[in-house]
Amino acid sequence: MADFVEDEQQQQQVLGIDESEGHNNTNNMAPTGNPIHRSSSRPQLDVSKAEIQSNVEDKYPTILLPNQSDDLSHLALDIGGSLIKLVYFSRHEGQSDDDKRKKTLKERLGLSNGNRRSFPILGGRLHFVKFETGKINECLDFIHSKQLHRGLESRYSDTEADRNAIIKATGGGAYKFTDLFKEKLGVSLDKEDEMNCLVAGANFLLKAIRHEAFTHMEGQKEFVQIDQNDLFPYLLVNVGSGVSMIKVDGDGKFERVSGTNVGGGTYWGLGRLLTKCKSFDELLELSQKGDNRAIDMLVGDIYGGLDYSKIGLSASTIASSFGKTISEKKELQDYRPEDISLSLLRMISYNIGQIAYLNALRFKLKRIFFGGFFIRGHAYTMDTLSFAVQYWSNGEAQAMFLRHEGFLGALGAFMSYEKHGLDDLMVHQLVERFPMGAPYTGGKIHGPPLGDLNEKISWMEKFLQKGTEITAPVPMTPVAGTTGLGGFEVPLSKGSALRSDASALNVGVLHLVPTLEVFPLLADPKLYEPNTIDLADPSELEYWLTILSEHLPDLVDKAVASEGGTDDAKRRGDAFARAFSAHLSRLMEEPSAYGKLGLANLLEMREECLREFQFVDAYRSIKQRENEASLAVLPDLFVELDSMDEETRLLTLIEGVLAANIFDWGSRACVDLYHKGTIIEIYRMSRNKMRRPWRVDDFDLFKERMLGTGDKKKAPHRRALLFVDNSGADIVLGMLPLARELLRRGTEVVLVANSLPALNDVTAMELPDIVAEAAKHCDILRRAAEAGGLLVDAMINTDSSKENSSSVPLMVVENGCGSPCIDLRQVSSELAAAAKDADLIILEGMGRSLHTNLYAQFKCDALKLAMVKNQRLAEKLIKGNIYDCICKYQPAS
Amino acid sequence: MDQREFEIQPNSDPNPSTTHVYHLALDIGGSLNKLVYFTKDDDHFVDGEAEISPRNTSEKSKGSRRNHPVLKGKLNFKKFETSKIDDCIDFIKTMKLHPGGSRQQENPGSQPISIKATGGGSYKYADPFKERLGINLDKEDEMDCLVAGANFLLEVVDREAYTYMGDQRQFVQIDQNDLYPYLLVNIGSGVSMIKVEGNGKFERVSGTSIGGGTFWGLGKLLTQCKSFDELLELSYQGNNKEVDMLVGDIYGGMDYAKIGLSSTAIASSFGKAMSDKKEREDYRPEDMARSLLRMISNNIGQISYLNALRFGLKRIFFGGFFIQRHPFTMDTLSVAVNFWSKGEAKAMFLRHEGFLGAVGAFMSSDKHGLKELLVKQEAQQSPTKLSFAVDKMNGQLDGELIGDESIECSVYAA
Repeated sequence: MADFVEDEQQQQQVLGIDESEGHNNTNNMAPTGNPIHRSSSRPQLDVSKAEIQSNVEDKYPTILLPNQSDDLSHLALDIGGSLIKLVYFSRHEGQSDDDKRKKTLKERLGLSNGNRRSFPILGGRLHFVKFETGKINECLDFIHSKQLHRGLESRYSDTEADRNAIIKATGGGAYKFTDLFKEKLGVSLDKEDEMNCLVAGANFLLKAIRHEAFTHMEGQKEFVQIDQNDLFPYLLVNVGSGVSMIKVDGDGKFERVSGTNVGGGTYWGLGRLLTKCKSFDELLELSQKGDNRAIDMLVGDIYGGLDYSKIGLSASTIASSFGKTISEKKELQDYRPEDISLSLLRMISYNIGQIAYLNALRFKLKRIFFGGFFIRGHAYTMDTLSFAVQYWSNGEAQAMFLRHEGFLGALGAFMSYEKHGLDDLMVHQLVERFPMGAPYTGGKIHGPPLGDLNEKISWMEKFLQKGTEITAPVPMTPVAGTTGLGGFEVPLSKGSALRSDASALNVGVLHLVPTLEVFPLLADPKLYEPNTIDLADPSELEYWLTILSEHLPDLVDKAVASEGGTDDAKRRGDAFARAFSAHLSRLMEEPSAYGKLGLANLLEMREECLREFQFVDAYRSIKQRENEASLAVLPDLFVELDSMDEETRLLTLIEGVLAANIFDWGSRACVDLYHKGTIIEIYRMSRNKMRRPWRVDDFDLFKERMLGTGDKKKAPHRRALLFVDNSGADIVLGMLPLARELLRRGTEVVLVANSLPALNDVTAMELPDIVAEAAKHCDILRRAAEAGGLLVDAMINTDSSKENSSSVPLMVVENGCGSPCIDLRQVSSELAAAAKDADLIILEGMGRSLHTNLYAQFKCDALKLAMVKNQRLAEKLIKGNIYDCICKYQPAS
Repeated sequence: MDQREFEIQPNSDPNPSTTHVYHLALDIGGSLNKLVYFTKDDDHFVDGEAEISPRNTSEKSKGSRRNHPVLKGKLNFKKFETSKIDDCIDFIKTMKLHPGGSRQQENPGSQPISIKATGGGSYKYADPFKERLGINLDKEDEMDCLVAGANFLLEVVDREAYTYMGDQRQFVQIDQNDLYPYLLVNIGSGVSMIKVEGNGKFERVSGTSIGGGTFWGLGKLLTQCKSFDELLELSYQGNNKEVDMLVGDIYGGMDYAKIGLSSTAIASSFGKAMSDKKEREDYRPEDMARSLLRMISNNIGQISYLNALRFGLKRIFFGGFFIQRHPFTMDTLSVAVNFWSKGEAKAMFLRHEGFLGAVGAFMSSDKHGLKELLVKQEAQQSPTKLSFAVDKMNGQLDGELIGDESIECSVYAA
């Protein structure tokens, strides 16, 4: 990953390249349509389509989760007094494996790696949506149009099962709306116990979703990772109309120990009587502008402005809620509704917090989780509850909240199906994605479900027009065409234009990916944190959001060009820009909106957003051009390298990796050279600049491990995993020669590349062709590639490969992600399998060795190589400057 | 507050010309101002405790064999709305309750006179007392006074504590030696929960802002009642079913037996008011008052029980003006404690619940006039300690009387 230029000057340089190269490229691309990239990208394209064209996905569900049976039920409801929550599961076509090359490759890998199962890449998705109970018809329409009420197998025929379809439901409305569901959808609601559902939902979320819980103090959210093994017992406080307090000791083991009748219903009920508000949200919003001093009797009011310090009560402590409204001089209409709402909110929240704490104390429960509709992500409510718990516990207990708090019941109802497919789901098998529209709706559905891409784009366009009315932050000024799209506007300071639910958290779609595994070579998965930069730091977040925003117009241009620059592509490009800007503004407005967000997630979100608008590979043409140029000069480089002694060669190779990593987005001089000189000249020049010592320089340590000292030779590594970065010079002139050297020394090499495109990163689909091309000029590579099953065509030609296949293999595996960074807690099973025999890891490039994994510890030797192409990062991480290099070697720990 | 508070009633307010008022203490709370004052019917001495006949208090003493100075008189209780502080000051002036008021000839006025006062208002209203009565309010800590008052009443006054469940009032005999520790829940405008371990030994362990002020404040907004008493009266006639969401409302009239909630249990106070079909005017004030009272009483009962449990306290005494001996309030508190403790704990009430602070303030002084009086009359060494013996409660034990009453008592010097 190499596109994070850190100042305007460089930004222009980047644009310079694209402008001059882009046009040619488009012309080159359109007629030829290189089969490598087209066809090998197809599987990913299909995956992307599956998400967008929900009609298709629902009609032809062909791939099953390995632990799910055919009669999987997949919709559950929680019908509350004000909201209906739906949790539904959709299955997706996995990789269609129509790529022969990959299939063969996989077989080869399967052989070489031993017994491996082949999972579909995407198992399914868990969706969370909600409707207002008052608009239950919209909910029914949604279910009907998505055919969610029909059992999967019964979608093909009108079977008996269909007519007697049953949907699990919980919440009071499950009783109330039984007839309506029967009448409109012909389904029976199977009522599940509310408390059971709540607990099952909470247990699932706390165990399966990383950083599901968070604390909320003084407006600040802090996500908490809870050790699964240390989860129980806890107190679950569900604040609905009334309040239930449940002691949870384990799965299905719980007891309602307490509760209070002063809850959300009291707030809304009293609030309605006293303020004439028309909705709960309106009442909540009012409270935000209130001042309870006009309503509540404070300690200071009683003590003439003084604290009652003897018992630790400050003057601003509420002595008596609504104690001031006993005044004879004022009537109800003389009080501001805002103030009344705030007093009510504080009264009820403090009370709940207090009773919850007393119960936690009574049963010695360490954690208190609050959920339920009263909270509804409302910042002030969470703050008052937190304050109450902290106050009454003298800081010993903390209130915690759940990101999916509104969906506990629905999720629990879902879990109550005999076969829900969520059994034993592990944290690392879930990926949460935030689709288009998430920043606007926060999961609440407006209008009919969106079908195909075209509807999505129209919605986006329509939403933009109405955007100012519905949401405060305007993503960007609409400008015709793809050029001139500005960055997002930073929303005004909180307060004036803030939506009442602005601080509410967005809930994404949970992708269940059974093939994902924890990278087995992590020294301690529990301590592992992929992100080097903490985006919880507001200045960091702002910086990166600004970078992404500034880079957006250029990306849109590239994306549109990659699709031939058609009108359709332009329209999609605009929609993508709007959707992604909306994500950015949402995050600017509420940094915690999408949960604990690392830079890796942020960058992946951009790629996902591109895919959502069917930009399969925005950098396709650039990557292809650079690969070709680099491959053309590779033979010369091999000749040069082979003329060196072992020690010089090793240094030159490492220098080469670092040099090639800077290559495409280098200095002005590099860019000039790029136009003038040949690619090998630029590479050499860049390499010559790599003067040691580097800013982080463990080369001597690495060399000692590789070559030994004096007469003491060390055994070569058994297998090396090379996590590669960019296409072009980076892979061809940097990493391939290094791989070749390792192979020459008898080390098996596994090139680890992205499953899906991200920026100009090389993908696992593209690598075999690159390797094949390089192998034409190099015996070492050819024999290794054959041994690794990469050269399918070559093997058909001759049997000689068999004789020569004494070579150690060169393999390619996909890493399971489509991001410029990598979170090693969630990698492909393929990579996990390949890692089992590996004793050397080489992480290359900023995305994978700097933004993520810089501090990662491994069980085996690890080499991290990167050129820092960002001044801010260089200062922060290595106290150095832009273009400084990192060569960090960590022997097995 | 109704008019009778301001009338001078023969029962509690003997003719000032013939009654000697020696002593006064105030508890000026957020809502109500409570007075406790001592009136001496006549100077007399009694021989000893054993010879006091409660039914014969007006009799002259039978001598003073043991030379214990004894004062016989009445401890009087009276309350005013705090917002009508001037009425209170007028009353004190009329009654000449303040020191010097009955002995103006003795007091040249050069010496600043002070009376004991507690409650937040003793700070806030210091000035009007100074200006209109020329007296300083000598502020006593509120919590100290509450506890001292409760301890005094529980130790000294027979049949002070009682339980109240299902319209049944039952007096509780408290063994003085087994009184401590207990939880004192004082429900004023707000609620303080105090763990009491002995005389002067206590700690405010908890509290809640949802108290009497909330009842009155919210009640006033909801019902336009003109007084606290009116609101209480209303609540007695209401039915909370119209306003509260009951368990049965949610579960289609069925109990949620699994978790032990009956269909009539309140699931959500004011939960029915969420309905958008009705406005405030469409609800009966009686029903809203009732819901409010139940909400607040139940909540206080619950938090009290949780705190008693936390500190292993056997007894919970409820006091403070919110209770007002209002049967329904007491019943709700009792039911709450009973429900949450599964019958293991009982709510208890004090007959003089509203006057704990004032009594405590009264007790707090070592120069509260009575000693002076005793010394003067006995002309002996000054007593170091006073003790009280209750002779008679004026006021019906079971009546609904709220407010003015008195305790006839004897004061002993030791």
